[in-house]
Amino acid sequence: MKRQWLKLIIISIAIFFLMYQDGVFAEEIKPEAATERITAQLDKPSLKGGGTIMITGKAPEGKPVYVEVWSERKVRAARLDSEIDKETGKRPYIFYLTDEMPGFYNLLVPSVFSDALDEQRKLGRKWSVSALLRNTGATAAFEAPAKAKIDRYQTTLWASVVGSRGELLSPMTEFENKRRAMPLVKAKFRDLDVVFKATVEINPDGSFKAPIELPSNAPPGKYYVVAKIDKDIKSETLMFENFISFPQVYLGNAGRTINMFVPFLLTAAITTFGVIMGAGGGFILNPILVMMGLPHTVVAGTVMPTVLFSQGTGIYNYARIKFISFKVGITLGLAMVAGGFIGPKLTELITLAQYKFLFGIVLIILAALMFWQTTPKYLEKNKKEQAILKEFLRRAQEAKQKKMEGGK
Amino acid sequence: MKVEFWGQEFKVNLFIGIPGAFLIAVASAMFGFGGGPFMVPLMAVGLRLPMYVIVGSSLLAIFFNTLMGSARHYGFGNFDPTFFVLMFPAAIIGGFVGPRIAKRVSPIVVKRVAIVGLSILAASLLGLF
Repeated sequence: MKRQWLKLIIISIAIFFLMYQDGVFAEEIKPEAATERITAQLDKPSLKGGGTIMITGKAPEGKPVYVEVWSERKVRAARLDSEIDKETGKRPYIFYLTDEMPGFYNLLVPSVFSDALDEQRKLGRKWSVSALLRNTGATAAFEAPAKAKIDRYQTTLWASVVGSRGELLSPMTEFENKRRAMPLVKAKFRDLDVVFKATVEINPDGSFKAPIELPSNAPPGKYYVVAKIDKDIKSETLMFENFISFPQVYLGNAGRTINMFVPFLLTAAITTFGVIMGAGGGFILNPILVMMGLPHTVVAGTVMPTVLFSQGTGIYNYARIKFISFKVGITLGLAMVAGGFIGPKLTELITLAQYKFLFGIVLIILAALMFWQTTPKYLEKNKKEQAILKEFLRRAQEAKQKKMEGGK
Repeated sequence: MKVEFWGQEFKVNLFIGIPGAFLIAVASAMFGFGGGPFMVPLMAVGLRLPMYVIVGSSLLAIFFNTLMGSARHYGFGNFDPTFFVLMFPAAIIGGFVGPRIAKRVSPIVVKRVAIVGLSILAASLLGLF
C-alpha cells in the first residue's frame, strides 16, 4: 500500500511538471511582458560633486537600448529662430524660451552609433540635435526636454528696438513642442559631447550596461534615469542624488556648480587690474567667464550690477566737491538710459557664438583706443590735460574746504 | 548745448554726443561691461571737452546706463544672486586695491600690457586660435 502512494506522488509530480512545461500555469508569468520589459539598476544611490554611476540591466534581445538622464533642477534655455524657412523663404524671427530645461541632460545611445555621432561632430557648430536623434534612432527616447513648456514670441525689429520680447504666440502642440525642444537643447548645452554619448554596451542576450558620467559642475539634487527602447518599452524611473559641499556652490540661474573661490578671486584680480588700466573689469572678466562655460546672459546680467557701488561712491566723491557737470552728465545719461533699456534684450536674442564674435570686435576697438593713448602725441596732450585737471581738482577741494570753514 | 563749469564755458555738440552715448550704452548693457573707456574718448575727441569736465560727468552718465541695464537684466531673469554675492565683494576689493597699485606703476607700461592682453583675448573670442 505504501508503494502505491509513492507511485501516485511521483506520477502527480510528473504530470504537474509536464503541465508546467506545456504552459498551463503560464498566464501568471506573462511571457510577453517578460520579454518586452526592461529591468535596470544603478550601482550607487548618490554621488558627491559628480562622478560616474553604472547602469546595468536586461532588455529584450537584439533591440537598441537608450539611457536618458536628467536633473530635477531646471534652467532657462532660449533661442531666436532667424533661419530662412525652406517653404516660405522668409525669416521667421520667432523667439523660443523655456524655464524648464533640465540643468543636466544626457542621452546615452548604443555604442554602435558612435559613427553617427562622429558624423555630426564633423559639422562643428552646425550639428543638429534632430538629425542626430534621427540617425541614432533615438527620437522616441528624447523625452525629458520635450516636456519642458516652451513659450514662443513673434519678435520683430521694432519689438527689439523697444526692448520687448514681442507678441506671445499660442501654445504649441506636444509634437511641435518636442521638435522645438531639440534646438533649445543645443542652445543650452552647446556641445554635442556634453549631451550625447555612444556608451551603452549591449550584449547579444539583451543585457546592457552604461556609465553615467556627471561632471563636477553638474547641479546638485535629484537625477532621474530611464533605460528605454522606445516610448512604450522602458524601465522604471531610477533615481540618484548628487550632493555638493563647500566650497562648491550652485548658481541657480546659470545652472551649474562652481567652486566659490574661482569667481571671487578672478573678480578681485581682474577688477584690480581693470582699475589700474582705467577700463574697469568687465572687458576682461566677461569673456573669461563666458569661456568658462557660464551662459552669456547670466554673465552680462550679473557682472553689470557689481560696478554700481563703485560708480555710486565715485559720483558721490566728485559731487561733494561740485566736480560734476550735471547738465552734461544727465543729458548724455538720458541717451544712455535708452541704450541700457535695449541692450539687455539683445543679449537674450544673440547666440553665444555671436556674443563672442561681437565682444571680440569690441575688444579690438578698445585695444586700438589704448594704443592711441600710448602714442607720444597723445601722451604730451594728456600730460597737460592731467595738470589742468589736478589744478581744477585742487581749486574745487579748496572751495569746499572754505565753505566748510565758513559754515562753522 | 552750452555748459558752464568752474568759470569756463563749453559748447557740447549733441548731434554727436547723444547718438554716441546711446550706441555705447547699447553695447555696454548688451555685453555687461562699463562704458567708461569708450565714453571718455567720445567726450574728449567727439565733444572736445577737457578732462576735468569729463571725469565726473562721464561717471554720472554711465551710472544711469548701469542702473537701467541692471534693472532690465534683472527683469529678463539674467541676474544670478549667488553669483553676484561671490563677485560683489571682490569688485569692491579691486576698487580699493587698484588705485593704490596704480600710483606705483607706469601708466604706459600698464596700457601696453593691457593692449597685448586685450588682443589675445579678442583673438581667442574670434576663434583665431
